Amino acid sequence: MRFMIIVRATRDTEAGAPPEESVLAAMADYHDELVKAGLLLDANGLQPSSKGFRIRWHAGKQTLTDGPFAETKELIAGYTVIQVKSQAEAREWAKRFPAPFGESKDAEIEVRRIYELDELGPAESIDRFRDIGISTRRYARR
Amino acid sequence: MRFMVIVKASRETEAGVLPTEQQLAEMGKFNEELVRASVMLAGEGLQASSKGARVKFSGKKRTVVDGPFAETKELIAGFWIWQTKSLAEAIDWAKRCPNPTGEESELEIRQIFEAADFGAALTPELREQESRLRAQSQQQQQQ
Repeated sequence: MRFMIIVRATRDTEAGAPPEESVLAAMADYHDELVKAGLLLDANGLQPSSKGFRIRWHAGKQTLTDGPFAETKELIAGYTVIQVKSQAEAREWAKRFPAPFGESKDAEIEVRRIYELDELGPAESIDRFRDIGISTRRYARR
Repeated sequence: MRFMVIVKASRETEAGVLPTEQQLAEMGKFNEELVRASVMLAGEGLQASSKGARVKFSGKKRTVVDGPFAETKELIAGFWIWQTKSLAEAIDWAKRCPNPTGEESELEIRQIFEAADFGAALTPELREQESRLRAQSQQQQQQ
């Protein structure tokens, strides 16, 4: 089973405040542990929404809006993807996740299960996803 | 430059409604184009938040709260990681994306931090550790 650990954005991350060295060190140690256990699939930090944009589909039309976006609670600041054997194991690892902005700052992470292709049902298109390498992480240029 | 392209959740994705075969076919075609152009680094769909949990950090305290979570607008339903030469190129690709969840949907495109963006806080030792972890993690996935 694969899970995505999502770090929620804060006013600081949206202001583009760089992480402290102690936080980076704690993150590096934690991800080191994941690698040693053979569980880490991916991890990245996101720049503030001021450097991004949104595309909306509404009433058959597409509209593009540039960031920043005001609703900080709707934004994410980073993520880690792990491969584990059970929901319980995901929970254990999530509880060990370092406080994302340092021990003195409140924060929230969200842990979500990733769809495996088999769960999306048997379909010709699913085989095409498989050929591309989606959810098997080997993206072949064709 | 790398971008995370986020598919925002909707009532349907939160209800666990799976994409139709036609939606899967359109998305598959788009994904194939991304791969052919060497733009796609990753792409996944997330299960409804009812199958997930949140961990809140307050000082030394950790509180686990099980899903589902009510505020659909705060949730995400899937994502891609793209590698492009510019923001404009990412915008062009995003505009070609099929409507991801049905009638009303939204994509959010965010730039990913590269090691160089962290400046001095990412010491040479941490930088070395970071690139070693990425290499090891990739190796493990190829096994």
